[in-house]
Parts: sequence; C-alpha cells; structure tokens
Amino acid sequence: MLARKKVLMFGWEFPPVISGGLGVATLGLCKAMAPLADVKMIIPKNVPDFNIPNIELVGLNSIGRKELEELFKKEIHYSFPEMSVKKGPSFGPYTRIAETEYIDKKFYDVFHGEVHPFEIDDLYAGDVIKKVIEFARISVQYCLRTKFDVIHAHDWMTFLPAMELKIRTGKPLVLHVHSTEFDRAGEHSKNWVWDLEKRAMALADRIIPVSRYTGDICVQHYGAEPNKIMPVHNGIEAVKHTVKKKPVEGNLVIFFGRVTMQKGPEYFVEAAKKVLAVHPDTKFVMAGSGDLLRPMIERTAAYGLGDKFFFTGFLNKKMLNELLAIADVYCMPSVSEPFGLSAVEAVQYGIPTIISKTSGVAEVLNGSLKIDVWDVNKFAQYIIASIDLKGLRKSVVSANDESLKSITWENCAQKVMGVYESIFDEE
Amino acid sequence: MPSICFYFQVHQPYRLKEYSFFDIGTDHYYFDDAKNREVLDKVSEKCYLPTNRLMLELIEKHQGKFKISYSISGVALEQFEAWRPDVLQSFIELANTGCVEFIAETYYHSLAYIFSKDEFQKQIEQHRQLIKKYFKQDPKVFRNTELQYNNELAKFIEDMGYDAIICEGVDRLLQDRSPNSIYKAPNTNRIKSLLKNYRLSDDIAFRFSDRNWSEWPLTAETYAKWVHAVAGHGETINLFMDYETFGEHQWAQSGIFEFLRYMPGHVLKHPDFTFKTVSETAAAYPIRDTYDAHQLISWADTERDLSAWLGNPMQDESIAKIYALEKDIYQSNDKELIDAWKKMLTSDHYYYMTTKFWADGDVHKYFSPYESPYDAYIYFMNAMSDLSNQLKKKAQPRLKKK
Repeated sequence: MLARKKVLMFGWEFPPVISGGLGVATLGLCKAMAPLADVKMIIPKNVPDFNIPNIELVGLNSIGRKELEELFKKEIHYSFPEMSVKKGPSFGPYTRIAETEYIDKKFYDVFHGEVHPFEIDDLYAGDVIKKVIEFARISVQYCLRTKFDVIHAHDWMTFLPAMELKIRTGKPLVLHVHSTEFDRAGEHSKNWVWDLEKRAMALADRIIPVSRYTGDICVQHYGAEPNKIMPVHNGIEAVKHTVKKKPVEGNLVIFFGRVTMQKGPEYFVEAAKKVLAVHPDTKFVMAGSGDLLRPMIERTAAYGLGDKFFFTGFLNKKMLNELLAIADVYCMPSVSEPFGLSAVEAVQYGIPTIISKTSGVAEVLNGSLKIDVWDVNKFAQYIIASIDLKGLRKSVVSANDESLKSITWENCAQKVMGVYESIFDEE
Repeated sequence: MPSICFYFQVHQPYRLKEYSFFDIGTDHYYFDDAKNREVLDKVSEKCYLPTNRLMLELIEKHQGKFKISYSISGVALEQFEAWRPDVLQSFIELANTGCVEFIAETYYHSLAYIFSKDEFQKQIEQHRQLIKKYFKQDPKVFRNTELQYNNELAKFIEDMGYDAIICEGVDRLLQDRSPNSIYKAPNTNRIKSLLKNYRLSDDIAFRFSDRNWSEWPLTAETYAKWVHAVAGHGETINLFMDYETFGEHQWAQSGIFEFLRYMPGHVLKHPDFTFKTVSETAAAYPIRDTYDAHQLISWADTERDLSAWLGNPMQDESIAKIYALEKDIYQSNDKELIDAWKKMLTSDHYYYMTTKFWADGDVHKYFSPYESPYDAYIYFMNAMSDLSNQLKKKAQPRLKKK
C-alpha cells in the first residue's frame, strides 16, 4: 500500500462557470480524488462559501499584500522569461516574431513590476496571457514553500507554474489535457499557446488527455511521446431532472456549446435546412455564444428559417437543464472535441444523441449516432430518423444509458491515481 | 457402422443500398446490385468455385463413398443465375453425380415461421420448385433459417410431409446426451431430428485457423481420429456449417482446402465409417430419444437463440412492420412490389441491426455491409416507407373507380 500522496494541482476555471467546461471537469475530478489523495488546488480566484470537502483550495486572490511581501522577500529567477528574452527571437518554433516581442514584453512587465495581490474578473477575457503570467509568478513563489509529491496541471493556463516547479523541484509533472489549441483554432493554430503546450508536453512525465482522440492529437500535432500518454475519460455527476413543458409545437433539435468554428455550428444549420425541407414543423435551438453566432443568425435568416430557429445566447446550468428537459434530439457536430461532457448531459436526460466521430465522448458513448461532420446529408438523415423512428430512438437511448453507468468521476479518479502510481513505480 | 453427414449452408442476401430518406418517393429500387454482385464475385472465386471443384474431385475419387448435402437459399440461386451462372453450373454438375442431396428451406432465408405461417409455406414451396428446376430433386429434409427450430416447427414440417429436419445440438437441451444419434420432438410421430455436432463442426468452421487453439494446426489425420473415436457410441456425426467456411471464413492460406482434400480419405480408412446424405442418414437409423425444444433455438452465437435477429427495438419494429404489409402486398398483385417485399424478409437485414456486438464479439460487425446497426435500420425503414407509399398509391385509384 502506497503512502497517501500529496498532489499539487493547478486549475483555472473555479468554481465552474461554463457548462461542460474545464471547471466542471476539474471540480468533478477533485471531489472524487479527495478520498484517495491529499489534494491542494491552486486557482486564480476563490469565492466565499465555495469549498470542496477535504480539498485544500488556494485562491491567489486571497493572498493578501502582507503575505505577498513575505513570499517575495527572495524571489526566484524564473526560467521562462530568461529563455525567451536571452536565448533568441522566439519562445518556440511557432511563435511569430511580432508575437514573441509582445509576449516578452508581458513577461518583462510582470517580472519587473511590483507584486500586487492577484485580481481577475473574467477568466477568459481581457489580457488572459498577462494574467496567466502573473498567476505563474505568484503561485510558483507560493508553492515552493509547500510539500508535494506530484504536480498536476489542467490545461495551458496553468502550465507555466507547473513546468517551473517541475524544473525547480524535480517532482513529477502530470499534464491534464482537456482541450488543446489545435482543437480550438484548428490546423493553423500554431502560436504562443501552442508552443507552451508543446513545451509542457515535452517536459511532462505523464500526459492525461481526456480521450484517446486527444491523445492522438498530442502525438500527431505536438510530437508528444506516445508512452507518456495515458488517456482518462471524464465522468459526470448525476442530475436531478428538471421538468418543463415544451413552449413550441414540433420536435426540438438542440445544439449547445460555444458558437465557434470548433463546435461546427454551420453543419448544424445546414443539416437543419435539409431536415426542414421534409419536416417543416421541426424546431432548432442553438444555445451558446461565440464569434460565429451572428453569421449563423444571418445564415438562417437568409435561408428563411428564422421562425424555426431559436438562438438563446449563453445559458447557465439551470436554463440548460430546462432546455434538456424539452429537447427531442441532441446534436454535437464538433470539428474537434477533446471530450464533450455536454453530450453526456444530454444522455442523462434520455435524449437521443448525434455526435461527431472527432470527439472523445464517441469513445465512451458506443451507442450514439456518429457522424463525419462534413457529411451534412447523413447528419440530416440521422436527425430525421431520430424523430421518425421509434426503434432507433429506443436503441440509442438504451445503449447510452448502459454506457452512462461507467462514466463516473470515481472511475476517473481511480485511473488518475493509476497514472501517478505508474510514475512512482518507475522511481 | 457410424456415418458422417455433411451439410453445407449456401446463402447470399440481397443487401439493401444506403437508401436515404431523401430517396423516398423518387427511387423505387432498394437493393445494392453493385455491392451484391461484388460480394458474389468475391465469394465465388474464393469459395464456391474452388470448393465445388474439390467436392467433385472427392466424389469421383471415392467412387460413391463420399456424399454431401447442401441447403442453398432461393435468393442465392437467383443471384447465381443472374451474375454467376458458372457457379450454378458447378452445383448442377455436383447434383448430377448422385452423391449430393439438396435440402428444403425458405426461399428468402427468412424468419417467416415466426411471423407468418402462410408466408412460410409459400416460401418453402417456392424454394422446392427452384430446386426441382435446377437439380431435379424433390427435397425430403427441411432446414429452417440458421437452424432455427423448436418442437412446434418439427410438427409443422412433419405435417408438410418431410422425413427429417435439421437443428442445432444444444447442450442445455441434450443434457449430457450425445448429438450422434437420431432424435425426435416429443410432439411428433415420425419426423427425425438431425442434431448438429457443434464441437466437431466448429473445429472446422471456427477454430481451424485459430493459432491460439491448442490443436492448431489441425490435420486431416487428427480430425479423422476424433471422428473414429465415436465408433461404438454413436451412429451419425452431423457436421453442419456455412459453405463459406472453405476459402472465405477460413482462408485458402490456412490450409483448409488441403484439409478438406485429405480428410474424407482418412475417415474412410476405418472400414466401419461411411458418408451419408441427410435423407440417407434419416433412413439408416432409428429414433433413439426425444429432443425437447420449447423455445426457438438456432446455431448462432454462444446463446444458440434468436437474439442476433430479434430483440432490440429496431429489429422488433422493422420486422413487425414489414410483415404487417403482407396482406396489402399480395393484394396489389404487383410482381415487383411483391418481389421487393419478399427480399426484405431475408433474415440478414435484421442481423445487421443487432447491437449485440457492443457487448460480445466482432462477428456481426464483420458480416455487416453497413457502418452501424443504426444505418442498417434506417436504410431498411426508408425503403419500407417507400414500398408502403407505393402500395397506398396503387390502392387509391382503384377505390376511386368504385
């Protein structure tokens, strides 16, 4: 029996803001890990009354000026700005020169500026990169005074401090990859974030992608060593079902998630157009916001489908549950989806699911209808069949129910512990 | 004097094309001729032609001592006639040797017995006519689709005048008794039930090329030794298998053809052993015991039941709805519609819809031409929807005339 391990975790979105997002996944994993290890979780900001039993949550925003002064009496020499500024024109092979100067300046500003208490409003807006660097500076200084056996970092925003600590302490580094720049921005995504991800993967002892699909991306697009990669699928928490009456006539087909290229909203619109040609009573809901929202609204208007399409904008958890309570078919035509927790949420509501083959969740929902996103004809046919054919709906829903049984955070936490053990076994 | 009864199943369905919802109303042809032809060509080259050639050689070589039986579905024969007359001709040559017997079955390799006794009888008769036409034989032994069988069916077939019926020798029904004797159903008088010896059959059909099998590589000598071991406590060893075992399921490289070439000779070295056709087997031995099958059994999967064809919501819905068209289809008197409907009764369509592979085995996946069971179901339902629309259209004008 191994001694209880001390895990130093880095998270970003905490408490969770986005449904099915990074925060939800980190929280679910943390809760399930509490009985198995001592987890200390470093996050940008903590809010009062948000606690996880048996997990030590450290919000950088709660470190006051006095404590900071104490911490920074002797500041370490941080590796990355040095590498970046002194060793040449770029942080990595793909950071553009203009971008390098821009990023260098941020490092310079942060590391040569005064240390003040960490503040952040919106975790995903404004100068995120600068916030990421500030977060790294303070958290590294803080963590060097604590004891830990393993470093576990969730997504690129937290990779800087995790790498620094690995270099300083020699403790094993585990990267948890919930999403990559490749997923978010596609083939031409090579930029500073991409470089950061690549470097972190090269330095890490283990990489935990949320699916085999994402693991393959780490290998093929980041050159990560395949033997470091140990995929662990996400879990999901049980839901209390919302009950709601349908406000509109006809079958309701839904899409939810960020309305960005990655999520494939235009395939949804094109498939809807084909479905409406034969089933004019069907209604479509696109829930979420993003840079493609306006183009999508314009496109449905141009097709004359405005009265069949509902754009809800961003939905919070409660509104989302109401939507799931009235939906008849769920679609996730993501071009690249590391996992896709929202598909599992739809499964919890017993809704037949159509998901893209390029998604992690396709590996665990064996019985879902699976599409190549570009095959709009097939996509439309699956929507039509899900509406028309009772046998299909029943089969998809019952197969999904079966899969749901093993999609738990407890399973996920067990496997993560297995990843740690695989490192300690080597030592 | 124990004997070996070889029976081979030959069947090819008319696979449906990827018939889209958007084809309904515009495209009234549902079958994938290109694919069906391609499969037929492939299997003809790899299995039917070389195996038939070898069977003919063996029959000639052993001068009447090597005998076999075939069950060839009507839809397979139809496709041979249309696309591979050379294969059909090679079966006719085998029939002409007098050492080959042809078995009765449903023309469409269907599940009609469960859903319509009327259609079931029609298909057996249709198949009988075809066997007479090509092979000049009147079948005396019946075999239901994929060896589906129960007591009630045995009685039904007895009443239709057959001498014997073929079925799987299922352990849970045999209860430690040997499949190597003739049995009867408890509710029948004279019809004989021939039980498959699944161990010795599967040694050839499934395990032959399995390198993890302790007996691999299996030689004709070894196999003949196992067969000879039955001497003294058995009368017939019923070896029933898909004909595609030779060259298709077990590739030529596995040595299956060499095995087949030498096995009969090794078996016949023992002076007490012979080969018999199904009718000869039934005629040669008395009924020894009863075989009580209340539930429908089959030769499929480890369950030996119908769960590969029926049971999930897609299979149950599609098959119920296609049989629900039976009356209207015949009333339409439209040859093409009736033909399409009947081809859609073929059991393979429902087999492609099985979701069992999510739990057990990739066997079904290998045999399915579609990407998923959902696709199989959707194409089927789309095609059926068009068929049903056509029926309605045909019915309407007549009503108006009245």
